[in-house]
Amino acid sequence: MPESSAAKDFVLPAAVYSPQLLESVIYDLQVYVDWIRQNEIRARVGANSKDAPNHSDETVLVIEAWQKGKAPTIDSIHALLSHLKALKLPEVHITLAALPNHAQRRTLVEWFRNNTVPGLLVSFVADRNLGGGLVVRTPNHVFNYSWRQELVAGRDKLAEIVRRV
Amino acid sequence: MSDPLLLLIAFAVVIGLAVVVLIQGWQLHRTQAKLAALQNSGAPRVDPATAVDLEAKLKTAYEAKIVAATSTFGADLEATSKRLSEQVSRLTTTVIEEELEAYQKTLEQVRASAIQAMDQIHQAVEHQRTELREGMEADLAKEEKALAAKFDAHLGDVVASYISESLGSGVDIGAQMQFILTSLEAHKADIRKDLLGDA
Repeated sequence: MPESSAAKDFVLPAAVYSPQLLESVIYDLQVYVDWIRQNEIRARVGANSKDAPNHSDETVLVIEAWQKGKAPTIDSIHALLSHLKALKLPEVHITLAALPNHAQRRTLVEWFRNNTVPGLLVSFVADRNLGGGLVVRTPNHVFNYSWRQELVAGRDKLAEIVRRV
Repeated sequence: MSDPLLLLIAFAVVIGLAVVVLIQGWQLHRTQAKLAALQNSGAPRVDPATAVDLEAKLKTAYEAKIVAATSTFGADLEATSKRLSEQVSRLTTTVIEEELEAYQKTLEQVRASAIQAMDQIHQAVEHQRTELREGMEADLAKEEKALAAKFDAHLGDVVASYISESLGSGVDIGAQMQFILTSLEAHKADIRKDLLGDA
């Protein structure tokens, strides 16, 4: 199926940075599409329509990024849903000594998306044994920039210092 | 002087005396036989008084001879016994001295052997002690080296664990953010290469 112009220009908002958030948006959109279809049937048979389901802020941001100011239609939302389901974005898992707050997450996600792949998905894990720094796990590699790793790698220097004391 | 030797000497003296008496008895018997032969041979007869006188003189001379011979023999026997005693004494002294000397030599040899054996044992013990000490020193050095290596190997883990335990839940990611971004910038090429290769 040829790709639409909306799909070509679509960039996943920075707020949707993790696979879990993307799954949540897809779920919201699926519920929304189902609601629209059910309401169309209800209108045909003269039944009362149900209240619109709630969307998360991330879902709203995704719809806005997809519509680019245009009014959403059932077809456009459905196309968005299909596009999101078909997405195969690279993922990285970042392990930190503690879970970062929203601002810190946004900073890290922006760094990865600006310097590597724009639609990259990032998940965060906490491991206080790292002490500090981070561990980046890609599908093919583990980049360990933690303090623990630095200390373990520099054990010769540390032993030398201990002997000198 | 030992008892068997004295008995041997006494036995020799008795035998000697017996031989002398036998010889004298044999000579007397021969003289009497000759006298009887002369009487029976019809030789000129001597009147009985003269014969008795002669017989008495002969007997006296004979007895004097026996006394003299016995005396001489006694003197000789005494001298012989004395010399024999001296000889035995000298021999005994010599034998004892030789035995003592041999004993002394044997004792010296035994002492020398014992000293040599003691020296060898001492050397062996010293050698063993040296080897043991060197072995123990080598083992201690090896163990010390192994412990130091183990300590060095786990030092990083120990310090890292200590830091993470000390920090506990008070880790401030915000304070680390600059370090994190610097680390990412330093390895941007590697991460980018890895992700774009997978994209």
